[in-house]
Amino acid sequence: MSVARYDLNKCIGCKSCVTVCPMDVFRFDEAAKKSVIAYPENCQSCGQCFVNCLGRSLTIVNDMYGYAQTSYRAATTVAMNRTAQKVIDR
Amino acid sequence: MAKSISRRDFIKGMAGFGAASAVTALAGMPAAHAESETELVERVTTELPIPEVEAPAKTEYECDVLVIGGGFAGLNAAAAAADQGQRVVMLDKGRPGYSGLSPWPSSHRWADKEMGDDYDALRKCIQHGSEYLGNMDLYEVWLEESKGTYERLRDWGILDQYETAAQSGFYNDSGDPADCSGDYQGYHEKFIQHDRRTKFAAVLKEKGIEYADYTMVTNVIVENNKVCGAVGFHVPSGAIITCHAKAVVMAMGGGCYKPTGFPTGGVTFDGEYIAYNLGLPIAGKEFDDFHMTLSWAPGNAFLNNNWTYLDPLWLCGGDITPETAISYATTKGKVMVLDRVTKSMTGLAVSDGTGVEDMTKQDVTRRGGSTSENPAEVRFGKCNDTMYKGDIYGAAVGFGAHLTNGVFCGLDDLEGRTSIDGLWVSGDGMMACGPTGAAYPTGVGFTSNFVSTMGNRAGKAAAEYAATAELTKISDERIAEETEKILAPLSVEKGFDPNWARDQLMNIMSPYWVYIAKSEATLQAALTQVEYLRDKVVPKLQAASFHDVRLCLEMQHKVLNAELSLRASLARQETRGLHFRTDFPYRDDENFLCFITLQKNADGGMDIEKVPVKDEWKGDLSEDYKSRYTYYFPRELETLGLPAEEETGGWGGKK
Ligand SMILES: Cc1cc2nc3c(=O)[nH]c(=O)nc-3n(C[C@H](O)[C@H](O)[C@H](O)COP(=O)(O)OP(=O)(O)OC[C@H]3O[C@@H](n4cnc5c(N)ncnc54)[C@H](O)[C@@H]3O)c2cc1C
Repeated sequence: MSVARYDLNKCIGCKSCVTVCPMDVFRFDEAAKKSVIAYPENCQSCGQCFVNCLGRSLTIVNDMYGYAQTSYRAATTVAMNRTAQKVIDR
Repeated sequence: MAKSISRRDFIKGMAGFGAASAVTALAGMPAAHAESETELVERVTTELPIPEVEAPAKTEYECDVLVIGGGFAGLNAAAAAADQGQRVVMLDKGRPGYSGLSPWPSSHRWADKEMGDDYDALRKCIQHGSEYLGNMDLYEVWLEESKGTYERLRDWGILDQYETAAQSGFYNDSGDPADCSGDYQGYHEKFIQHDRRTKFAAVLKEKGIEYADYTMVTNVIVENNKVCGAVGFHVPSGAIITCHAKAVVMAMGGGCYKPTGFPTGGVTFDGEYIAYNLGLPIAGKEFDDFHMTLSWAPGNAFLNNNWTYLDPLWLCGGDITPETAISYATTKGKVMVLDRVTKSMTGLAVSDGTGVEDMTKQDVTRRGGSTSENPAEVRFGKCNDTMYKGDIYGAAVGFGAHLTNGVFCGLDDLEGRTSIDGLWVSGDGMMACGPTGAAYPTGVGFTSNFVSTMGNRAGKAAAEYAATAELTKISDERIAEETEKILAPLSVEKGFDPNWARDQLMNIMSPYWVYIAKSEATLQAALTQVEYLRDKVVPKLQAASFHDVRLCLEMQHKVLNAELSLRASLARQETRGLHFRTDFPYRDDENFLCFITLQKNADGGMDIEKVPVKDEWKGDLSEDYKSRYTYYFPRELETLGLPAEEETGGWGGKK
C-alpha cells in the first residue's frame, strides 16, 4: 500500500501533501506548482496526504501489498482471503 | 445517457488500482461508466523530476527553551514554557501534529472525581495491570493533573466532538466487511475545522512559538554537563540547522524498524540514540509493544486506521470501579497481551475476516468506550464505525511499551529531568518509568493525556530553569563536527542502501521467537546478527540524497535500539507483561521487581543494571501468586506447579 498519483492535472499546488507527510515522501516543484511523489518507497501508507489533498490528485494503491512481514498469512482462512480479494478489487 | 458515477462509487472504484494499471483497467469497464472513462483516460499519472529544495531562510536559532518534537508531549511542553514568558523554539522532523504517534490516537482518558471516579479503584487497577512496575508516584500526578490536561486540550480544539463518519453519511455502512469504505476526503473536508492536527501549529502560533518543520535534530550539545542547544539539518535541502538554548526538552517519541500497519514511521529512536550517547541510562527496553496489522492487507496503515483518524477522539473513562478494578486489568492483559502472544505463536489470525462489526464493538469497549451512542454520556466512546481491524501480529516491530521505555530519570523524578543541567525528556519512548509498567494496556486511552501532562510539567520546569540560567552557545567547532557526521553517508563510495539495511533488521527482529516469545538462544542469535549490522553495515550506509541521509541516520538509531532491546530482554530472566520468556515463563518477584537500565560506559561498552522499584509500588507481596497475577502465559502455571486455568479467549473470541 502506497500513495500514488491519481491525476497530476488535479494537483492545485496547495502543498498539503508536502507539509503533512511524516515520511519525507514529497517534494514541491515551485516552477510547475505541483507536488512530486519523490520517494514512494518510504511511504508508510498512513493516508494523511490522501485525505488532505485539496485537489484530490492522490490515491492510495495496493501496489505495496507485500510491504509488511506477512509471516502469518499462510494460516489465514478462505473467508479472509476472499475479503482481501474484495478489498483489492474495489 | 450513461448513469453518472456517484462520488462513493468513484472512490470505491479507484481505491484498488495501481497508478500505472488504472488506465487499462478502467478502459475495460462497462458502458455505464463511459462518462468518467473519458475523463479518466486523460489522467496524468507520471511524476515530475525530483526538484532541488532551497535552504530555509533561517538556519540559526537562539532561545531560552528548545523543544524537540511537536507531538502531544512537545506541544504541551512548548506551550507551558511560553506561558512562563520564555522564548521557545520547536524543531520537528515532520510537522507538529502530523508526525510521530500524535496524529493517531482514537481515545482520550482522564480522571475525574466529579464524574464519580473512585481514585483508590483506579490506583488498584493500574498497579495490578502494570504488574507492579508502574510508577505510582507519577500515577498520583496523573490523577491530580489529567483533568486540567483534558481541559487544556479541549480548549485548544484538539478534543472537538463532531459527527462520526457513521453519523455523517460519508461512511458506507453496507454491513459487508469488505465494503465498509466511504468518502474519506469528503468527510474530512466537511469537518476540516475540527481536524485536531491543524490545532498543533495554531497553538504554537498563538503563543508566539517559533517552529521549524522537516528539521531532523541529530544531536543535543552538552558542554561541562550543561546543555547548549541542538544541531540538525533541514531534510529537504540538507541545510544545517543550529539552535542555541538554555534548556532543552526532548520529546522525540519512540520508533519502530518498519511501520507496517501501525503508522509510526516518523519516529525512529532518534532521541533515545542521542540520550544514550550522552551517557544517560535507558530503561524499559525489554517491554515490546507488539501491534497488529491486517491479515488481508498487511502493512496497510490507512485501512487499519482511516476512520479512527478522521473521527473525533473518543472521550473515555468512568469504567473502572472498586468492583471492576482487578477484572478490568485482567481483561486488558488477556486481550492485549496474552491473546496476541498466543495468536502470534500459533500463526492464527484473530478472526476469519467476517464479523468486523463485532470486532469493532470489542475494540470500542476494550478502550473503555461504550457502544451506547448516548451523547449525554460525556466520556463514552462514540466511534461505532464498522472498520477493518488489525488481526495479525506484524506491525511496528521495535516499538517499545508506550510509557515504559526511554531515558530513566530515577525513581523520584516527576518531570523528566535528566542528570544533565538544562535537559529534560518527555513523552512516549523518551521518558522511562511511567505508570503503566510492564504492560501499558491498562492505560489504553491514557497515553495521549499522560504524555501531555508530562510535557506540561517538563516545559514548566525547563522554563523555570532557563529563567535563571546563562546561555552557553554551541561552539563553531562542535557545529563543524556535527555537520561532518550528518553529511558522512554522502561520501560513502561503496556501501549499503539504508532501505536494504532496514529490511535486514526487520527480518532479524520480527520473528515471534525474537520479539514475542523470547528465549536465551533466540535473543542471543538475534544479537549476534544485530552486532554484525552495527559493525559492518552501519558505518557503510550510503546516501545519494538528503532524504537518504535521514534514512542512514535513522538506521543507526534503529540498530542501537535493537541492541538495547535484546540485551535488556536477555537480562530480564522472567516473564512479565509485555516481556515473555519461554525459558522463564513466570513472574519472578524476588529477582525482577526492578527496572533494567542500560548505559554507555567510559570504554564505549554497555553497562546493564537492575534498579529495584519502590516498595510501595510492589503491591502486597504476601498475596498468593494467583491473586497477584490473574492471567497466565503458556506453561506458566505448569512450571510453577499451580492448577491450570480454563481457556480464556480474548479479543476475537476463544483461542
Ligand atoms: C495508531 C495509534 C493509535 C493510538 N491510540 C491511542 C488512543 O486511542 N489513545 C491514546 O491516548 N493514545 C493512543 N496512541 C498513543 C499516542 O498517540 C501517543 O502516546 C502520543 O501521541 C505520544 O506523543 P509524544 O508527543 O510523546 O510522541 P510523538 O507523537 O511520537 O511525537 C514525537 C515527535 O518528535 C518528532 N521527532 C522525532 N525525531 C525527531 C528528530 N530527530 N528531530 C526533530 N523532531 C523529531 C516527530 O516528528 C514527532 O512529531 C496511539 C498511537 C497510535 C500510533
